[in-house]
Amino acid sequence: MTTADTRCSLAREAGGSVIRLAGSWRLSSIGELDAALRALGVAPGGIAPPVALDGGSLAEIDTAAALLVWRHLAAAGVPADAVSMRGFADAHARILELVRQRLHDAEPAAAPRPRGALASLGAAAVGLVALLHGHLDFLGRVLVELGRTVRKPSRLRGKELFAQFSQVCVSAIPVVALVTFLIGLVVAYLLGLQAEQYGANIFVVDGVALGLAREFSPLIVATIVAGRSGAAFTAQLGTMKLTEEIDAIRTLGLSAEQVLVVPRVLALVMSLPLLVFVGDVMGLLGAMTIAERMLDITPSTFVSRLHDALAPRHFVIGLAKAPAFALFIAVIGCRMGMSVSRDTRSIGMNTTSTVVQGIVAVILLDALFAVLLQELEL
Amino acid sequence: MNGAAIEVEAVRTRLGGQLVHDRIDLRIGRGELVALVGGSGSGKSVLMREIIGLQRPTDGRVRLLGTDVWSASPRQLTALRRRIGVMFQDGALFSSLTVAGNVATPMIEHGGIPRHLVAPLVALRLSMAGLPASAGARRPSELSGGMRKRAAIARALALEPEVLFLDEPTAGLDPITARAFDAMLASLCRDLGITVVLITHDLDTLLSIAQRVVVLGHGRVVADGTLDAVTANDDPWIRAYFEGRRMLAAEGSPDGT
Repeated sequence: MTTADTRCSLAREAGGSVIRLAGSWRLSSIGELDAALRALGVAPGGIAPPVALDGGSLAEIDTAAALLVWRHLAAAGVPADAVSMRGFADAHARILELVRQRLHDAEPAAAPRPRGALASLGAAAVGLVALLHGHLDFLGRVLVELGRTVRKPSRLRGKELFAQFSQVCVSAIPVVALVTFLIGLVVAYLLGLQAEQYGANIFVVDGVALGLAREFSPLIVATIVAGRSGAAFTAQLGTMKLTEEIDAIRTLGLSAEQVLVVPRVLALVMSLPLLVFVGDVMGLLGAMTIAERMLDITPSTFVSRLHDALAPRHFVIGLAKAPAFALFIAVIGCRMGMSVSRDTRSIGMNTTSTVVQGIVAVILLDALFAVLLQELEL
Repeated sequence: MNGAAIEVEAVRTRLGGQLVHDRIDLRIGRGELVALVGGSGSGKSVLMREIIGLQRPTDGRVRLLGTDVWSASPRQLTALRRRIGVMFQDGALFSSLTVAGNVATPMIEHGGIPRHLVAPLVALRLSMAGLPASAGARRPSELSGGMRKRAAIARALALEPEVLFLDEPTAGLDPITARAFDAMLASLCRDLGITVVLITHDLDTLLSIAQRVVVLGHGRVVADGTLDAVTANDDPWIRAYFEGRRMLAAEGSPDGT
């Protein structure tokens, strides 16, 4: 038999039971103490009232161990208030008393029940509606501020606008150029593989030019910008919200939308068409590179075919979509930043959400444009 | 008692070209309740970070519970940190966890506590810090500043530490809660033998519970001793600090004309 823990023992005395505590009762050995108390057989009905605790040879006790004692007694049907204490050093008695007084509070609150599937679906739907409603509301406020800016251009924060423009447009050129160049190259290659079989090499130029100018370039550039600048807007404004900078702007009698949002929206609306143009040029360059090696289309043939194949309206339609994409990306990014709640975790969540929403919005808008232009027979 | 809890020897700290600590020598025995005071920028929080191993001093030695903090192996440092509790100025609660999750984290991570005891123990810590049990299910972002502070204290107390470091524990609390908090600290120190080091500007805390007051200034320990001894010091900053309070007390008393 293993040696029983000598730190507690139960004795029956005339007119009741005595539980003796001895040695060191600390959190570090709480597992053993728990087992020792359990081994004592302090079970409902197994202990005759009245109960006394004897701490004559107790060396030390902390609040965790005291909690353990009271909980075991309570589990045995002995309310803590009915227990008398004797022989304790003052400090030990105070600890036991401190915990006894808080015993009622120390009942852990019941955890809230997790939602069922239907309730989760409902909550998600309500959340989505609230989100869209909030976006619409925010879009309205931004448009009002934009209108005010148009009427009185001196309100515009020029410095902020240029800083944002440089961030959003100029520093995005390398990544946009690289990605669209590769896309142009890959599209021309894949089209070329098919066209070669029919000897229709020259039509690769038609396909690439049309596809790039009208769809690929705007869509891909908008996706890059949504990930790059939309997320940056949310993180910037979210941090400002967290450090109460936005509240400070408001209390100074300024409009946070005017100071922070309008420059960002304008910068993005101006930048995106320019970036799409960069994308068009780089995509065609990519296509031209592969066309010469694979399809024997010299650059001069490529360009002259381009003049015949690509009607200016396709190019203009591609550019015209860009500001609409930009408006949605910027408004979503700023709104998600302004609606960050008071903890750091929500900046991360909102930033992720901005990217997803931005890309979904761009694709939805693009589909809308496709249907609309089809109806207009453009 | 048995040895010192904290020994700081000849610590010099240079931060961004600025000399924060010129030479700090400090010895805190086990079971002491020491208040660290000093003007803004006198390096109180920096000293605390150096003692608990978060920031390396430029020069000098720091021993915590007998271990040299800055030459300890990572394993020793982990074992050491299990024995201390720290409450940061703004709480530093984990925002992804509920309050109860925050308090339970040290208990679960350092092991040895039976699962069925974690929840009641968390509830006890919350209650000791003056929070209702219902606060356990809430997220730190849903709490007021004072409640966050209390949640942070509950987390610092989770493992019944041997040394407790508190950075401005009562700042931003209402006076009633602050005094209840002082009483709790005094009881922890007296009954559990916990060494408490607190950085504070709260004069009421100093007057009611601090056994020893250490004043930092000009990169050194300007004064060190009981409250009476420190008040008698004629350093201009110390005089101004306690003077203002005395004048207020005189104005406030009914017979002070």
